[in-house]
Amino acid sequence: MTKDTTNNHQPSSMSDHDMVEIHSKLNIEKHPPTKGFLVAPLVFVFVFGCLIFVCSIQLAHSTNQFQLHPPTDIVVLTEEEKETARLDRKVASGKKVFGLRCASCHQANGLGIQGQYPPLAGSKWVTSDPALISKIILKGLKGEIIVKGEVYGASAAVNMAAVPITDREIANVTTYVRTAWGNAASEITENEVSLFRAESEDQVEQWTGTQLVDMFPSVFSN
Amino acid sequence: MNNLLKFSLGIFLSLGVAWLAFVVGARAQFGDLTPSSETLDEFGNIPSDSDLYPLPVSGLAEQGSKEYLALGCMTCHTQQVRMVEAGFDVERGWGQRPSVARDYIHQKHVLLGNTRIGPDLANVGLRQPDLEWLHKHLFEPQSVVPQSLCPPSPFLYEQVDQASGKTFTVVNDKNESRFIVPSIRAKRLVSYLKSLHQNYELPEMAFVVNEEENIEKNAELLNLPASDVNQSSLPSWLEKQIASGKEIYMKAAPGGGLCFTCHQPSGEGLAGQFPPLAGSDWVLGDKERLIKISIYGLMGEIEVNGEKYNNVMAPPGIPPGSLTNQQIADVLTYIRNDWGNSASAVTSLEVSTVRNKIKGRAPMQMWTAAELSAVDE
Amino acid sequence: MKQNSEQIIDKSLKLTVCFFVASAGLWLLAAALLAYISAAKLTDPFFLSSFEFLSYGKVKIAQANAFVYGWGGNSIFAVTLWVVARLSQAEARGKVIVLFAGFIWNLAITFGLLGILDGHMTPHEMLEMPAEIWPALFISYSIIAFFIIVTHRSRRNSNTIAPQWFLLSSLLWFPMLFLIAWNGLEINPARGTVQSVLSMWFGQSLIWLWLTPVALGAAYYIIPAILGRAIDKYYLAVFGFWCIALLAPWSVVHHLEGGPVPMWIPAIGTVMSIAMIFPIAVASTNFHSTAFLDISKVWNSLPLRFVIFGTLSYTASSYIGVIFSLPAVAKITQFSIINDFHFNQRVYGFFSMIIFGMVYHILPKITGNEIAKGAKSFHFWTSAFGVLILLLAYLIGGLTHGVLAQQPSLNWASSVISSILPYFQITELAFVVLGFSQLVFVVNVWKAIIPNPFAFFTNDDDATNSEVSA
Repeated sequence: MTKDTTNNHQPSSMSDHDMVEIHSKLNIEKHPPTKGFLVAPLVFVFVFGCLIFVCSIQLAHSTNQFQLHPPTDIVVLTEEEKETARLDRKVASGKKVFGLRCASCHQANGLGIQGQYPPLAGSKWVTSDPALISKIILKGLKGEIIVKGEVYGASAAVNMAAVPITDREIANVTTYVRTAWGNAASEITENEVSLFRAESEDQVEQWTGTQLVDMFPSVFSN
Repeated sequence: MNNLLKFSLGIFLSLGVAWLAFVVGARAQFGDLTPSSETLDEFGNIPSDSDLYPLPVSGLAEQGSKEYLALGCMTCHTQQVRMVEAGFDVERGWGQRPSVARDYIHQKHVLLGNTRIGPDLANVGLRQPDLEWLHKHLFEPQSVVPQSLCPPSPFLYEQVDQASGKTFTVVNDKNESRFIVPSIRAKRLVSYLKSLHQNYELPEMAFVVNEEENIEKNAELLNLPASDVNQSSLPSWLEKQIASGKEIYMKAAPGGGLCFTCHQPSGEGLAGQFPPLAGSDWVLGDKERLIKISIYGLMGEIEVNGEKYNNVMAPPGIPPGSLTNQQIADVLTYIRNDWGNSASAVTSLEVSTVRNKIKGRAPMQMWTAAELSAVDE
Repeated sequence: MKQNSEQIIDKSLKLTVCFFVASAGLWLLAAALLAYISAAKLTDPFFLSSFEFLSYGKVKIAQANAFVYGWGGNSIFAVTLWVVARLSQAEARGKVIVLFAGFIWNLAITFGLLGILDGHMTPHEMLEMPAEIWPALFISYSIIAFFIIVTHRSRRNSNTIAPQWFLLSSLLWFPMLFLIAWNGLEINPARGTVQSVLSMWFGQSLIWLWLTPVALGAAYYIIPAILGRAIDKYYLAVFGFWCIALLAPWSVVHHLEGGPVPMWIPAIGTVMSIAMIFPIAVASTNFHSTAFLDISKVWNSLPLRFVIFGTLSYTASSYIGVIFSLPAVAKITQFSIINDFHFNQRVYGFFSMIIFGMVYHILPKITGNEIAKGAKSFHFWTSAFGVLILLLAYLIGGLTHGVLAQQPSLNWASSVISSILPYFQITELAFVVLGFSQLVFVVNVWKAIIPNPFAFFTNDDDATNSEVSA
């Protein structure tokens, strides 16, 4: 049939015609008649069943419900916890604003620099009336003020008019400074801030310390 | 089986189902992600005024990604930090957090890679911000990492006989120095490498380790080389001034300017917030303007290297707790001579001259850009 | 009568099959040279480092492409043309056009590889050749596939058997995969990591749905043809075939485990990889229970020895592949050089070995020229030895690499990578051995095609053709 040496002494090789014939027949007859039952198909069916079982368990555990994002622990929150989470996010966002815009003077620890920049930690300018701190941020502050018994403002001024800031940023950053470093004052909302913005519309210059003391007598009464 | 049409149909369907899942399905699920802020606001929306991440990369860096691809770098380098449960990438200091799909949306070609003969590069821009190190590594990796298997790319550099301001000096294991000038291709590639960083959080993925830990890890692992090869050739008085200036740059008052909180330790500033000092036309330019800003601060809109910034810089030069003339001179000399900057030193005499000139100015009255340019003329 | 028809069929195929086998041989040599260069560059980074076009990344990728498209593609055409025509008992159709398409195919790969070395590669796995040549690849492939299917349609016996299913399905899968990748990566490119999913899916499917079925089909053909007995438990083959068709396209994306894609993608890949145990078991049962009925005959027939080496390697590598896709193991080995192990195991230890056997079976029938037994035997032993040490080096090296990479305290370059350096040296040695082995193979092939080589020292492919047709 061929000149292949390997086939010369192997005369029993199969021609293509026979191959198609035989295998086509095998596909129809499955296997030559045997006694009893065949083990192989049973083994395959068993193994296949086990595989499907293992695979489906694996799938159920590792696909993360076909979600796009990596899993986060899913907890059903109560209203109270949702409120805490919201406040946490707000404070975190405020902290970021503080780091970018305020920390260079008032320092990340809120203590300011003695004689130059007033502290925010424990300062009633921060923790008292929401309107006070919001209005300072809205319009700035100049002139001498007394914070925690020390005089500031001889050399420094906050001039916020130069830098645009949104109501939400103000709400977030004030809420942050009112709760950080041991401060424990109430939250300030965005709506409140826009109210304060409307109220202080007429103020063109920065506030002065005396002006603010007059405006908020209850804060500075004692 | 015997009917070719039915057979082909089966073949098409078997592949088609997988195609539906992995191509059509994947595309529908995360084919059109958009940038996002680091955290969502209290209502689960993107705050209107926040930066959107990932930030787009510069044009030079984008060209660099083509060089990266053309040289086949991704054969040995991956650009993905795996989930914490899938590997120890974060522990190795290769990133502050695992990578997520959103990190890659700006990339024309996503070069995730699948083999790590070299380290992961997803955050190489943070890990190795030193320009000189990167250039030396590209020219001859073994000059900075002795055991590296990375092939050298001398064809990206021109070798010259003399060291100059434009050259980097590469020393090989036989202690021979070569002076190399990077080609534009090398600069692109380095710019691309520096642009590789996932140093922001996303709503779906927060940092796993904080920045300090990450820096610490990398300092240990990379055994960073001394980054002051050209400083050693400086006269000792200048070296001293730069060292003192660096201290002031990093220190809080009193006796420091805390400059790094805004301008960053790398001198690169923050995009859209604080202008860079490295390569800045303000820093390298007119000394008088620089001294004025150092005394009285600066506010309002300015333009640095063609980019607009609008912020407030608190004055480090107003008493009390302010910097002395010598300290201002030192810190200015420092910022004019680090991060690849190279400009003349500032003396305390120069500072006091300027201070006298503007004596009448009210304390805390920050400069504006308009004012400064008016004075210049 | 039967023998007559077989000879007529062989004659109708002589030109095309010889062309494809001869050019496959040349690509094999090119790939061997590139493989040696890339291996040598890993042991000595300064080796040829001043030539930009020979940078490690380029050479490594060019090697994979030359191997899969050049050697793999051409030998697939040769084997499929011949086996389909023989089983159809019909003469091959359109030989001039097929020859022309084959010429285009090889020209496209040549330009593609030059493009890669010149820095125009794309980042898509196994599709790195510049997009400009993709149309040429696709069209020339489709032409060749079309004429093979035409031959198949004119078969004498309307029933089909296992080799035909495997060979035809690979003919159909390749253009489908190619079109999907082409559309998703170039025409209408996906954004972000969808691209990576698609490119990985294509690259891995190419091995599973293009190379693997051809090698399995060839084994299903040659084992009964030489042994002279039907495949044992043949009734399982149809089941094994459809299992591969249904599972393989799903099983290939598990390499993205932990990566920046939704978790279901690698998870499904992992599960389907485990399920692949089944078709693997079917194929190896079929092959080995047939072969071991008459093992002395297998040993004495060199083509069959190659093929059984390939099928054993298939079984082993596939089971190892299943183990390495388990999440606990994948975590360790994911980005290690175990990837090289998988690639070489599948493309070299399995696919190429079976193709070697097929070529030694086909060539004497077609050309009427014998191949010296000693040369064939030398080729077998050097190949077997080379493949074994190559794979062992990649396997052990890959495990070492993975385990060390999992220890964050170890310095990357000085501890992790330097510990796998010895394995790179072994692979360099292995590629030298394999290079010699492949050189012998190519000499064998060319001597069979052109018994008097000195008349044709001038031009390679064209010279072959004119000689063969003369």
